[in-house]
Amino acid sequence: MASLISIRGLRKTYRMGDEDVHALDGVDLDFEKGEFVAILGPSGSGKSTLMHILGFMDRPSAGSILFEGHEVAALDPDRRAWYRSNRVGFVFQAFNLLPRLTVLENVALPLIYREDSDPARNAEAARAALERVGMGHRLDHRPGQLSGGERQRVAVARAIVGRPAIIFADEPTGNLDVRNVDRVLDLLGSLISEGITVVLVTHDLSVAERAHRVIAMRAGRVQEDRRR
Amino acid sequence: MRIVDRLRPAVINGLRELRANKVRSLLSMSGIILGVASLVAMVTVVQGMVGNFRQFVDAMGGIEKITVTREPLPREQEHLAELSEGLTMRDVTRIRTTVPLIANISPEARVGFEKLANDDRETLTYVTGVAADYLPVAKRWVDPGHGRFISDLDVHNMTDVVVLGAAVVADLFPPNEDPVGRVIKLRGRAYTVVGVLNNIEGSGFQISSARGRGPGGSGSSWRYRNYGAYIPVTTALTKFLGSDRLSGLGLRVGNPQQLQDAVDQTERALLQSHKGLRDFGITTNEQTLEDFRRTESAFKLSLGGVAGISLFVGGIGIMNVMLASINERIREIGVRKAVGARGSDLFLQFLAEAAVVSFVGGVLGLVVSLGIVTLMNLVLAAAVPTSAASMLDPQIMAMGLGFSVVIGLVAGVYPAMRAARLDPIEALRHE
Repeated sequence: MASLISIRGLRKTYRMGDEDVHALDGVDLDFEKGEFVAILGPSGSGKSTLMHILGFMDRPSAGSILFEGHEVAALDPDRRAWYRSNRVGFVFQAFNLLPRLTVLENVALPLIYREDSDPARNAEAARAALERVGMGHRLDHRPGQLSGGERQRVAVARAIVGRPAIIFADEPTGNLDVRNVDRVLDLLGSLISEGITVVLVTHDLSVAERAHRVIAMRAGRVQEDRRR
Repeated sequence: MRIVDRLRPAVINGLRELRANKVRSLLSMSGIILGVASLVAMVTVVQGMVGNFRQFVDAMGGIEKITVTREPLPREQEHLAELSEGLTMRDVTRIRTTVPLIANISPEARVGFEKLANDDRETLTYVTGVAADYLPVAKRWVDPGHGRFISDLDVHNMTDVVVLGAAVVADLFPPNEDPVGRVIKLRGRAYTVVGVLNNIEGSGFQISSARGRGPGGSGSSWRYRNYGAYIPVTTALTKFLGSDRLSGLGLRVGNPQQLQDAVDQTERALLQSHKGLRDFGITTNEQTLEDFRRTESAFKLSLGGVAGISLFVGGIGIMNVMLASINERIREIGVRKAVGARGSDLFLQFLAEAAVVSFVGGVLGLVVSLGIVTLMNLVLAAAVPTSAASMLDPQIMAMGLGFSVVIGLVAGVYPAMRAARLDPIEALRHE
């Protein structure tokens, strides 16, 4: 069976002054449907760059990416936006909820940029996603009225509302207290039962240990790819 | 996705931002508010001026009127004064036969203020000797059922008949009494009233005392024209003035486009019959009209300049605020892009926001312009009672509103482009 994502020879080079910086220096990886993966590495290891490229926010300098069987390494910005809106979800360390929107509107945000956007259907999908993360009782609150753990659960709801194939969680527990760390990680881990691939990006080994597969990165290369 | 579907959330978003930043939005809108207000007020006031002036020019006989007046001889002809015969009925015939461009000739012999009496009722009014052509030249008429005007036969036979202004009738006769056919006294002589001139304000005999209008309302200023009594010009010359010299001629050109030709031909005809003596003057309303046009364009230019500058400054204000707003919301832009917004989605969002701000500014500007126009009407009514009140025209208001939205859109393009081009990764990292 073909992998969800299959990357070969992925490189990303930045020009910093007179020097070329190789953020990704030849990465080969496969991600399967419904996997719970952690990408572990110190800052500068290239893990964020890898996440941005796999999350259709950036383009590689070289290499190939097969996403659901399609070559997507060189898509134009609008096509990448389509993938972000339809196939990918993001969870950020800083939650990144829009303060002026209600919880429900925040969660529905990815849907309004879709071609078949319909306000009533969007709201229904957002409500369902919020129920799924246990935040169905806070639909009309503003993000500012929620605790950190609650905000991150809303952010997870926003990531899954569009029924994506894969979710990238960038240090999702970095701003949370211990009790909420477990809760959010459990929530993310439970998503694989719905066929969603979850990719945790972290420098925290204890967080990475929660995943079923840990990819350790260093200096733009995969140092270790370990399944448990 | 249809453009309408994309615009709806953008507009809602714009309103939300407006509500969240009330003071800042109001400040940024101030330029647009002033611009729209001055634009609308300007157009309204200038239009009111034009309306007033049309009325005024009409009262003077309109653009097609030529006035010939008696003038002293110029210095180089002063020694020939004894040869000057002045304007006479011979000139009327002369012009009628030699200047076909002139459609109507109204000889006028001003008698002056005279006492008119009907039994014990008296009134003082200006008496003028005229002929049948007075009506088309002065743009007056006699309403049906109110008798007739002076006829050619009256002029020919030098009859003792009089046509009264509506206000004179009100002074001389009890209400509801038909004056036509009645005899009144003028300098002790009996004159038969044969007609009543049209009432300038409304119709009928009663001077509707500015019904439903405030003091200084439109029309009231023309009421003096309801005074006056008119007798055959020959009667005036023979029985009152004892001379054959007219006070002047009123001419009406058939085609206003041939005004200048008519003036030239009239001048030539008169010079010829006056043996070359320049004892007359010819004036048209064109100069007045030209003066007015100049005033109007000066007004338009200065007020339009003010409006243009405020709208320009208003546009810069909006652009400035949009740039500031985008700077504050870089992270929001990053989030929106991360969840799937295209550059064009954000472009549309911020453009719509600019349009919403300027539209709301435009609406507030209309409210302000309403205040300005009301104030101007009050001031004008106090200073110039003849002026008609300016009214806000929905078309002008729509134009002002349209202007403000266009300004907002133009001012919003650059900030919106900045937002659309932001790199999502950079934007998300922004603190």
